[in-house]
Amino acid sequence: MTIEKRRNATADKNAPTQAPNVPAVERGAGPKLPGPPGVPGTERFRLLAYVKQESLVRVDKRPDETLLTWPHLLRAEFLAALLMGVVLVVASVTIRAPLEEMANAGVTPHVAKAPWYFLGLQELISYFNATVAGAFLPIIYLVGLALVPYIDRSPYKAARDRKTMWVFFMCLMVGGLLITIIGSFFRGPGWNWVWPWDGIFFTL
Amino acid sequence: MTFPGPGDLVRVVKESALWRSLFRQPYPTTSRTRALAVMNNVFLHLHPVRVKKHAVRYTYTFCLGGLSFFLFLVLTVTGVYLMFFYVPSVTRAYQDILSIENSVAFGSFVRNMHRWGAHLMVLTVFLHMIRVFYHGAYKPPREFNWVIGVVLLFSTLWLSFTGYLLPWDQIAFWAITVGSQMATYAPLLSDESSFLLLGGVLVDQGTLIRFYVMHVIAFPLIAAILMVVHFWRIRKDGGISGPV
Amino acid sequence: MSQLPTYGEVPGRPIGEMSRRGFMRRMLGVGVAILSVEFLAGTVNFLWPNVRSGLGGRLTIGTPAEIIANDPAWATGTPFAFNRARLFFLNVPAAKGLVDGSGASVTDPGEEVLALYRKCPHLGCQIPPLCDQSKWFECLCHGSKYTILGEKRAGPAPRGMDSFAVEVVEGAYVVDTSRIVGGPPEGTVTFDPRDTAAIPHCAG
Ligand code: HEM
Ligand code: FES
Repeated sequence: MTIEKRRNATADKNAPTQAPNVPAVERGAGPKLPGPPGVPGTERFRLLAYVKQESLVRVDKRPDETLLTWPHLLRAEFLAALLMGVVLVVASVTIRAPLEEMANAGVTPHVAKAPWYFLGLQELISYFNATVAGAFLPIIYLVGLALVPYIDRSPYKAARDRKTMWVFFMCLMVGGLLITIIGSFFRGPGWNWVWPWDGIFFTL
Repeated sequence: MTFPGPGDLVRVVKESALWRSLFRQPYPTTSRTRALAVMNNVFLHLHPVRVKKHAVRYTYTFCLGGLSFFLFLVLTVTGVYLMFFYVPSVTRAYQDILSIENSVAFGSFVRNMHRWGAHLMVLTVFLHMIRVFYHGAYKPPREFNWVIGVVLLFSTLWLSFTGYLLPWDQIAFWAITVGSQMATYAPLLSDESSFLLLGGVLVDQGTLIRFYVMHVIAFPLIAAILMVVHFWRIRKDGGISGPV
Repeated sequence: MSQLPTYGEVPGRPIGEMSRRGFMRRMLGVGVAILSVEFLAGTVNFLWPNVRSGLGGRLTIGTPAEIIANDPAWATGTPFAFNRARLFFLNVPAAKGLVDGSGASVTDPGEEVLALYRKCPHLGCQIPPLCDQSKWFECLCHGSKYTILGEKRAGPAPRGMDSFAVEVVEGAYVVDTSRIVGGPPEGTVTFDPRDTAAIPHCAG
């Protein structure tokens, strides 16, 4: 696909002004060479907007770097949603959501656990001073997460080029996962250590 | 004499003024009509007309952001269904859940779907964040979209947490008691913050109505608005980040 | 590897100079900011729980004679569970006698009483009645243990049991449940110094 462009509309002087696989005669011939209508990849479009070179819809790009949203992206999204839908339906038909007796403030259960995504936090509270673990850590966690782009200012994107950040982040994530698993499956009555094969005290 | 077949019906429908006012073009089969289809449809316009090749690969995004959004939609629909049968009162809530489970047609299916969908969404949002981090996709110009993402993560957790109380059973009651008590460890205003959050000193009617309002309207609205901004910025930042 | 994009110059006058228009604009901004703060404060105020009865107000427990009529064991030290305010009302001299075995019976402890809040200062579970074996309060949720006077001896709680202010009005005890007194800090030992390991327990 070639896209007609105004001569002075080139923003990036370094960008190739000519797709390599287009024969030289076509150069500059622009509007006089309409492709056969309806054959994908050969039509011409009028310039509707000026697009910066870094943008997605690049002016001078070889045609094989992008795909049409319809059908390629939509098909991918549809299939993913379909798969997730099937998983959900199967799960909802086969697994019952838990429901116990009606809430009663007077009957303390032997195990009181927060929802699973907070069990890491609950586990931490059993190790540390509660103010530190219960209040500071979650705040630091969220604020720290939000600040990630402003802390890691290196221009590199690949994980191998920013090892420190990557290792640090993964330690947080894996650490969080581990304490969540411990809080979920290894804690029983009295928040005592219980091996999962001796009983699982966990509800979703 | 030839009888009209189903094809003729299709033709009549497709040539009718109604159909053509609804769909301004035939089924997209050429690059041009496919581009127009995306451009002219308000929902599809969430996407640009063309995307980078890697954006379509499952192994790049694992579609995790998209799946989070899909689950959000599923939760909205199933949630509205449940609202028809649920009254947020400490004397009724539990009975209502029981009747949804036992006497409403497909009630237990809808409840299960809402519950499992909620857990899955927390999971997909977390995984989405990890994948974005892995690709360094928070680098300029996408820094602020990452920040919006963190607020979305918080909103997702909060939606899930507030919803957890609504069945008003023992699991719900004690999980929220224990979970919200963690907030009272805040160094300043600890008692005040839990008083405000719980709508009283203990988990009770005041808490149930507060959590209900936050769960069914306040936070879905906030999350939806944030998602709009999130998606808009993805487009304005030139689609999802390139492969590393 | 890509380059960091430049965001370009910040438009406008150099910092420090201000035009009349700029000044007006800024004042407008300040006005809007003040309004937003007021709006926020108003919102918090509006959402402030409107508690008139039950926990959060002043509740009358009764005269010593009334309590004993209700629960004769109160005179010999058993904590009286006053459920409307979720507290254990303690006859302190008798309770001490119950623990050290002197078995003293006190029918009017005067000001020597204690209204211990049953909400565990750890994560808020309801603390069950005194454990017979240890004569301690033992929270089943995560195993925090407190003496009969609410001093913390074991478990993850950050401090001893909280209590409410008690007044004697015309011979009757009145608790002000809006005023919670934080429990004694970890390590406070004024009574009952028995070692955790040395006695049998109810909670793990
Ligand atoms: C309700 C939760 C969320 C939804 C529905 C959502 C949705 C999406 C979608 C659909 C995309 C497109 C690419 C993809 O599917 O991976 C995306 C990209 C992105 N998301 Fe999210 N997201 C959510 C939460 C988050 C969180 C928690 C973060 C990070 C803390 C985040 C940061 C980003 C960033 C930086 C991008 C751009 C990625 C790129 O350019 O490769 N989002 N999001
Ligand atoms: S709530 Fe009592 S020990 Fe955790």
